[in-house]
Amino acid sequence: MKGPEGPVEAAFFDGMTARRWAARIAPARDGLSLVILREGAAPLSWRFDRLRALADQSDATRLTLTVLAETEDEAPRDPARLVVTDPAAVAWLLRTRPGLMRRDLRAGTFRKVALWLGGAVAAVVVMLYVILPGLADYLAERLPRETEVAFGRSVMRQVEWMVSDENGADLACTDAEGLAALEAMKTRLVGGRDLGYEIELRVFDHEMVNAFAAPGGQIVLFRGLIDEAENAEEVAAVLGHEIGHVVARDPIRLTLRAAGSTGILSLILGDVTGGTVIAAAGEHVLQTAYTREAEAAADDFAYGLLNEAGISTAPMAGFFDRIAKMTDLLPEYLSSHPLSAGRAEAARMNAAAHTATAPVLNAAEWQALRGICKD
Amino acid sequence: MSFNDRLTASYSGGRGPLFGLALRTALLTLLTLGIYRFWAKARIRKYIWSSIRLGSDTLEYTGTGLEKFLGFLVAVVVLAVYLGLVQLVLFYFGLHFVIEPQTEAEILMQMSFFYLSFFALVPLMLFARYRARRYMLARTRFRGIRFGMDKAAWGYVWRAIGHGILTFLSLGLLLPRQTFWLEKYKTDRSHYGDTRFVQGGKWTALYPAMRGYFLGIALLVASIAYIAMSGLGSADRIALVQFFPLGFIAVFGFGFVYYRVHSYRYLTTQKTLAGAVGFLALPRTGRVLGIYIVGALVVGLVVSVLFGVIGGVVAVSVAAAENGATPGVGSVLVIAALYLVALAMLGALALVFIIQPVIAHFTETMTVLNPAALDAVRQRAHDAGADAEGFAEALDLGAAV
Repeated sequence: MKGPEGPVEAAFFDGMTARRWAARIAPARDGLSLVILREGAAPLSWRFDRLRALADQSDATRLTLTVLAETEDEAPRDPARLVVTDPAAVAWLLRTRPGLMRRDLRAGTFRKVALWLGGAVAAVVVMLYVILPGLADYLAERLPRETEVAFGRSVMRQVEWMVSDENGADLACTDAEGLAALEAMKTRLVGGRDLGYEIELRVFDHEMVNAFAAPGGQIVLFRGLIDEAENAEEVAAVLGHEIGHVVARDPIRLTLRAAGSTGILSLILGDVTGGTVIAAAGEHVLQTAYTREAEAAADDFAYGLLNEAGISTAPMAGFFDRIAKMTDLLPEYLSSHPLSAGRAEAARMNAAAHTATAPVLNAAEWQALRGICKD
Repeated sequence: MSFNDRLTASYSGGRGPLFGLALRTALLTLLTLGIYRFWAKARIRKYIWSSIRLGSDTLEYTGTGLEKFLGFLVAVVVLAVYLGLVQLVLFYFGLHFVIEPQTEAEILMQMSFFYLSFFALVPLMLFARYRARRYMLARTRFRGIRFGMDKAAWGYVWRAIGHGILTFLSLGLLLPRQTFWLEKYKTDRSHYGDTRFVQGGKWTALYPAMRGYFLGIALLVASIAYIAMSGLGSADRIALVQFFPLGFIAVFGFGFVYYRVHSYRYLTTQKTLAGAVGFLALPRTGRVLGIYIVGALVVGLVVSVLFGVIGGVVAVSVAAAENGATPGVGSVLVIAALYLVALAMLGALALVFIIQPVIAHFTETMTVLNPAALDAVRQRAHDAGADAEGFAEALDLGAAV
């Protein structure tokens, strides 16, 4: 557009009306600005250093120009537009004006982003780690026990239904002598004391070395745990621990907390491509299960039960030592349970202080319990 | 007003440039763990908007990735508080209605009851949908003049809920009523510059657009009647019934697209810009279906080849590992990188082979009547855009582009 061919045609929109103005553009005499001439309007002058072009446009043969201006708009741009289609002018502008594609962030943008990002992260963290657990605890305290028990039964029904095989046979073990031995263990542990809940015990025929408590007194041991245990005292210790969770209402707390927090993580991470993995990992760190404080309290409760029933906790130490090899791979802050090594030490100290003990089951009962899933 | 003067829109976007832009921005999105997606969306919209042309002028998209990112942060905080509290409290009260289930059906019912808190999200989703449209219009310009929409999202929410319930209760028969009145609500609150759009017409005129659905129902009833009345043995009946789901999807898929296309035709043709500028829209169901089918085939083919290559690399490195070679960090990285590139390709291909052709078809079948009247339109004020689609983004309601 500069040189012998003189000014070139362009389309101009003044940013005030939708009228399309036929314009002629040329660099000013001093070379510092672009002059826009229209019939019936005063000439406009846009300084070259403030000249900007629209990015990511589909038609490479046209250049839509605007000018840097302090407006309240989403970007600091004047609303007026100049559309240049003359090939020589487009090429000349792109070649000689490297600042055309500049982004022009407003002052303080980075500070603003950092503030908002920090605020959002803080708000979500407070929600997940302070408000929801607090509210879950508050509501769990106020939930009527009958409701908790009914919900626990309903949860167990669902669990049984989900783990049953396609023939509808569920995993619950039913050997009569084994069940009797389990009942004997429960009676020995709990005795006549009022826990506030009817404890209902089940063994699932699964190799997992684990046990869990559903709300309202439903406790499940997995066959793998009984297989792994070397004597009845070890099983009794686990049972005492789970009863501890039931009495502290930990399962219903956890359920309430999860009800509030599950939606939030998928909200944040959900639609990132491949973000499901991240969401799953986040969920693991968030709620591997109960808090470590709750686990420690359940351990203490178990010691209370075992000591009062005159059951030795020395075998429990051996059990922790053995599973420490499996479980202590995770650092303590990632794991819900305290490290097994530490728990073994605590069990040993407790055993040293309480020496007047008797076996929890006799040899025949222990064999029956080990065979509870043989049907 | 003279509608003799008319101007048909055109679409100038190309496959190659859009694919390059989409792939580049998708890879950046992956590399930034998803943060770049706001900028990616803004850039792709800039490209598509600039391809839509009326006469020699194009649309312009002025939204920025930055404002979308900040809007998303706001939405996440609001939603985290709302979702967390509402779901926890709803769950707590839901607990009081729990009874011990006796049958499998009761178990399923009770499990689904706890997902009912989803309905607590419906008002927010509708709110987000209106807000997203308002933002999109506020960031669209033509000849330097902004489009815009009134701040009336909550009015839309309760109307949409009411119409939704009516449509549900009438077994879908009142769908045209819902479509018409909701579109009218949104259109009558939309502006180009200082000029208001007006939705004319009447809702009963949308019934012809329901043809596809009625055809589907007729076919369904006829085939059930045929199977019931025919002297077929039970084995043959079961064999026939197995085709039902497929036929159902085909017929109602067609009905759905037919309704969308034809209700859009009618509603667009009945819109004016303050009575001065009119519109004519003639998209075709067959063309839209054709784009979807061919596009899905192309995308499916390319992606299955890609995943085939990834599978091959995995198989080779597994075989190498079995032969005693330690699986190198290198091969794991190569597999991971290929997988991510394939994911990015999937989105870019769908954009280029499905979404862009559909937009192009709708653009090229759109005619503006009396475009000279546009010259009189004056600028409207800037709309800060509130959450800049943050709620829609957080609730996964993102528009196709």
